[in-house]
Amino acid sequence: MKLNIEGLLVYFPYDYIYPEQYSYMLELKRTLDAKGHGVLEMPSGTGKTISLLSLIVAYQRVSSAFPLDVTKLIYCSRTVPEIEKVVEELRKLMEFYAKETGERNNFLALALSSRKNLCIHPEVSSLRFGKEVDGKCHSLTASYIRAQRHVNPNQPVCRFYEEFDAVGRQVPLPAGIYNLDDLKDFGRRKGWCPYYLARYAILHANIVVYSYHYLLDPKIADLVSKELAKKSVVVFDEAHNIDNVCIDSMSVNITRRTLDRCQNNVDTLQNTIQKIKETDAAKLREEYRRLVEGLKEANVARETDIYLSNPVLPDEILKEAVPGTIRTAEHFVGFLRRFLEYLKSRLRVHHVVQESAPQFLKDIFDKVCIDRKPLRFCAERLQSLLRTLEIADIADFSAVTLISNFATLVSTYSQGFTIIIEPFEDRTPTIANPVLHFSCMDPSIAIKPVFQRFQSVIITSGTLSPLDIYPRILDFRPVTMASFTMTLNTFNVCLCLVALSSKFETREDFAVIRNYGNLLLEMSAVVPDGIVAFFTSYVYMENIVASWYEQGILENIQRNKLIFIETQDAAETSMALEKYQEACENGRGAILLSVARGKVSEGIDFVHHFGRAVIMFGVPYVYTQSRILKARLEYLRDQFQIRENDFLTFDAMRHAAQCVGRAIRGKTDYGLMIFADKRYARADKRGKLPRWIQEHINDGSLNLTVDETVQLSKHFLRQMAQPFRQEDQLGLSLLTLEQLESEEMLQKITQIAHQT
Amino acid sequence: MASLSEEVLLVVKKVRQRKQDGTLYLMAERVAWGPEGKDRFTVSHLYADIRCQKISPDGKAKIQLQLVLHTGESTTFHFANESSALKDRDATKELLQQLLPKFKKKANKELEEKNRMLQEDPVLFQLYKDLVVSQVISAEEFWANRLGGINNTDPAVVNNKQEVGISGAFLADIRPQTDGCNGLRYNLTADIIESIFRTYPAVKQKYSENVPHNLTEKEFWTRFFQSHYFHRDRINTGTQDIFSECAKQDEKGLKSLVIQGVKNPLVDLLSLEDKTLDEGYGICTTLPSTSNANKTVKESSNSAIIKRFNHHSAMVLAAGSRKGEAPTDQASETSSTDGNSRDSDFFQPPVKKVKLQEAIEYEDLQRENRPKTVALNLKKSDRYAHGPVPLQSQHYTTSQDIINSVNYIRHEMMNYKPNLTEVRFYTAFLMITKSHNYQKETINRSEILHCIAVFLSCVVLVER
Repeated sequence: MKLNIEGLLVYFPYDYIYPEQYSYMLELKRTLDAKGHGVLEMPSGTGKTISLLSLIVAYQRVSSAFPLDVTKLIYCSRTVPEIEKVVEELRKLMEFYAKETGERNNFLALALSSRKNLCIHPEVSSLRFGKEVDGKCHSLTASYIRAQRHVNPNQPVCRFYEEFDAVGRQVPLPAGIYNLDDLKDFGRRKGWCPYYLARYAILHANIVVYSYHYLLDPKIADLVSKELAKKSVVVFDEAHNIDNVCIDSMSVNITRRTLDRCQNNVDTLQNTIQKIKETDAAKLREEYRRLVEGLKEANVARETDIYLSNPVLPDEILKEAVPGTIRTAEHFVGFLRRFLEYLKSRLRVHHVVQESAPQFLKDIFDKVCIDRKPLRFCAERLQSLLRTLEIADIADFSAVTLISNFATLVSTYSQGFTIIIEPFEDRTPTIANPVLHFSCMDPSIAIKPVFQRFQSVIITSGTLSPLDIYPRILDFRPVTMASFTMTLNTFNVCLCLVALSSKFETREDFAVIRNYGNLLLEMSAVVPDGIVAFFTSYVYMENIVASWYEQGILENIQRNKLIFIETQDAAETSMALEKYQEACENGRGAILLSVARGKVSEGIDFVHHFGRAVIMFGVPYVYTQSRILKARLEYLRDQFQIRENDFLTFDAMRHAAQCVGRAIRGKTDYGLMIFADKRYARADKRGKLPRWIQEHINDGSLNLTVDETVQLSKHFLRQMAQPFRQEDQLGLSLLTLEQLESEEMLQKITQIAHQT
Repeated sequence: MASLSEEVLLVVKKVRQRKQDGTLYLMAERVAWGPEGKDRFTVSHLYADIRCQKISPDGKAKIQLQLVLHTGESTTFHFANESSALKDRDATKELLQQLLPKFKKKANKELEEKNRMLQEDPVLFQLYKDLVVSQVISAEEFWANRLGGINNTDPAVVNNKQEVGISGAFLADIRPQTDGCNGLRYNLTADIIESIFRTYPAVKQKYSENVPHNLTEKEFWTRFFQSHYFHRDRINTGTQDIFSECAKQDEKGLKSLVIQGVKNPLVDLLSLEDKTLDEGYGICTTLPSTSNANKTVKESSNSAIIKRFNHHSAMVLAAGSRKGEAPTDQASETSSTDGNSRDSDFFQPPVKKVKLQEAIEYEDLQRENRPKTVALNLKKSDRYAHGPVPLQSQHYTTSQDIINSVNYIRHEMMNYKPNLTEVRFYTAFLMITKSHNYQKETINRSEILHCIAVFLSCVVLVER
């Protein structure tokens, strides 16, 4: 259908449209018109992605006439399957365009992923872990390796990269939609490396789909996304966890093991320098000369050389010359040694130390006379040295890279970070295991360049409530903030708040555990196919499973359904998940016990019969005793005036909403959502749930007993088992073009968006 | 003569049939006989049609061989060659002996099929009794309507009786009972043992290795329940029992399953993340102590329970689908060798493509919204239609009634004069057809007869 959204012709590749999709596009267009940022919450399963793509593609097509507007869409998602799904939806849209307009448009869209997902080199791609693939790739494609090949033809190189380097850059990637597999196919046909091809092609592509890290992690962003056009629209989908991604990308942990490995690295560096000095001293002199001229010049390195780029450095620093104290190779190694010794001494503590970055810098100056300035150059200087020394396998040098990144970060940012040194784990106070946490507390640091640089940034997800908290913690000013609900003809969600308690003090209580068990047991007899149950933490789940086993509850559940349990091992859990789906598929039915904040709760959808009921046992608060968290809460309070409790509840609620939202993935889907904790009924918790969940809470679903829940579920499931007809939906939660254009409906639609 | 191009296995001359001299041919698929001097067969039977052969007793003057067909007809051949009649007959007999069983299977298949249909479908059986046994229609006519259905259905589906899966809780059913004097009693049934064997092939192997030469059956199970293997949550105290090997084997099977990875990329947690943070970066809020050294006994026993449940469920599931022939361990090992490479793009894209397409589909937004239905496969359709009602209680069933009714119809039809005022008869008839749940669009002849019969018996009752 062709839509007219405030004067913009939007091609929408379906015959019908949900009212909320229309409303979403409306808000999105206003955001783009204003060239500002937006926060949009819409429940999953309402076709968020296709609405986004339809509108932005339409916008791009129009703006090709007005060269001032949007030129590029950068779509960031979280997981590889999500990325691939987005590209497939885009393909659908483009096919629709081609069918309607009858012309092939020269649109280029592609997905970019890590080497592990794109490599086609037979040996390299068979490696199992991403890190190994990266390392191996580097050892085949680094510029000095390739230079060595001129001297020594036996030096192995990657033929795909060679071929790409020779011819791949001259011809642009032909227009089309490229998913990861398409890129690989194309690469195989041409004999070009798909990874470097994709990285090159994103510069002139109309749409780029990749993961958050390529934009948020300064170590990669600098490398991949540096040259993307300013007039881009950036979309962060599934963005409810974006603050944690930001923080993770800027934080560093240093253990004694890191330091030991670093020591080895430094020794290796020393030896290599010694060797080179004897054979090829000119090389070192050349490097020295370049460093005098400034880092920028030293940095004209070929793209492949930068394996891990430095953390964000202000541009003015790069223009300066490297300080004299670390300019020669030996001096720099000596400098590293001193820094390392200092860190070692700091780890020899017997009590917990917490200090700020300036305190740390002062201390390091007092103790070992290391200045702030050379520290800031540490990461760059190390990269330059590794290049000069022609180290093949940079993966071995991850420890020293980590230390130098830490040095750069700690000396660059005086605010927003904290240093915590813990001599032992809280649970095992007798075993010494000192760790230095350099922890970022301010997610806005990592995302700031994105907001500054790009014209429009859209943050969207199914669970962003309360909406106003994201602009605060990410420190930006949105032009639109809206929350949309799912319009339904009947309620396809049954929400039950069961009055059980798992307060931290009582949750090990025998009666509580047994009540939980009874709830699950009763539900397993009532609910068809799959049930997913989430616990608040892994340890807690282990304990509960053990006591259910002792009490014989699990055996009774087994009479109704098979039981699968998430473990800490990802491969094992994947297998359990697949078996779980198989059991749901063949009608036996199964229960999956899982953990909130775990991998399953974040990345796996339980559509239709894979999840007919979700039970959330307890409120998934984060582990509050952690010092890092405490520091962060303090920071939030001081900087953004967010109360500790508010943030903790917000965090718990977004995870709970994520968990229960896993089961409803569309309007034809239905499921039970059971919050098994009476604390959910309190206003402060309820108020922080997304609007589309809150709508289903009524007085009849509050404070239920187990029996009442079972009765309610039975009734609900019997209703839902009736055939789902399109006619019932039409005009209410599903619109034809005519219906959409009626005055009355447009009136209604304006009410869907809940502005804040 | 096309038939002559068949391979001729045996030719016997001077064989008389119906007092005519001729030649008997045993060919690849049939036995044929042609009168002397003519080049065409007057008798020709497919081996498949032959039920059995009979020979005349040795002492008799006439040396004969009789072929009895499934239809009940028979053909007798008289071996008339004076010198070698007995030899000829024996040669023929022996060859037929070899040939007939080969074809018998083919012939029986259809019979078996009919038999099976009748057994599985009591309504059909009743109908058969009513119509065929009472000679309302002949057996051929009866089957002519049905066999089309037989041949169309996939033989694999028809022959494969659905296997009964294993209850997930079969171990829970063997609750120990105290026998009053400090002992425990486990009640084992054949079903449970079967379940254990199917779920844990390793135990079955142990069983076949040890019972009966090393242990008696009772001892075997006693040890099984005492073993660490059965009580997996208890920490291994180092005692060596025969089942410790089983545990290892299970572990191995589980591991190979894990290594094999998952086929559906959407549930593969390993490849979910696009980029994992390098070691040392990121925030670890709770430090997971993964090393076994500082794990408490309780923790490791907990994780053993979790592992056990996952394994148990996977095995139960596998036992249901593997039809008992291949033990999983081997199956998984062989498949892991051919699917071990991570870059096994060979089979991955199709699964992946399909799953991705499924994931982005909004079926309600599309216009052509044909509902995907699964054909309902009812084993007892009458049970579905009527609920558990004994079949006999339906009062229309005796054969004699039907015969009477049919006769009555014949009689009526003969004197039939159209009388348009009596259309209500027709409506009444329709009601009866409906009430018997013949909701199919086409009602075949026998069913109509059936209905008419019932209808008429009602009429008779009313008139009385």
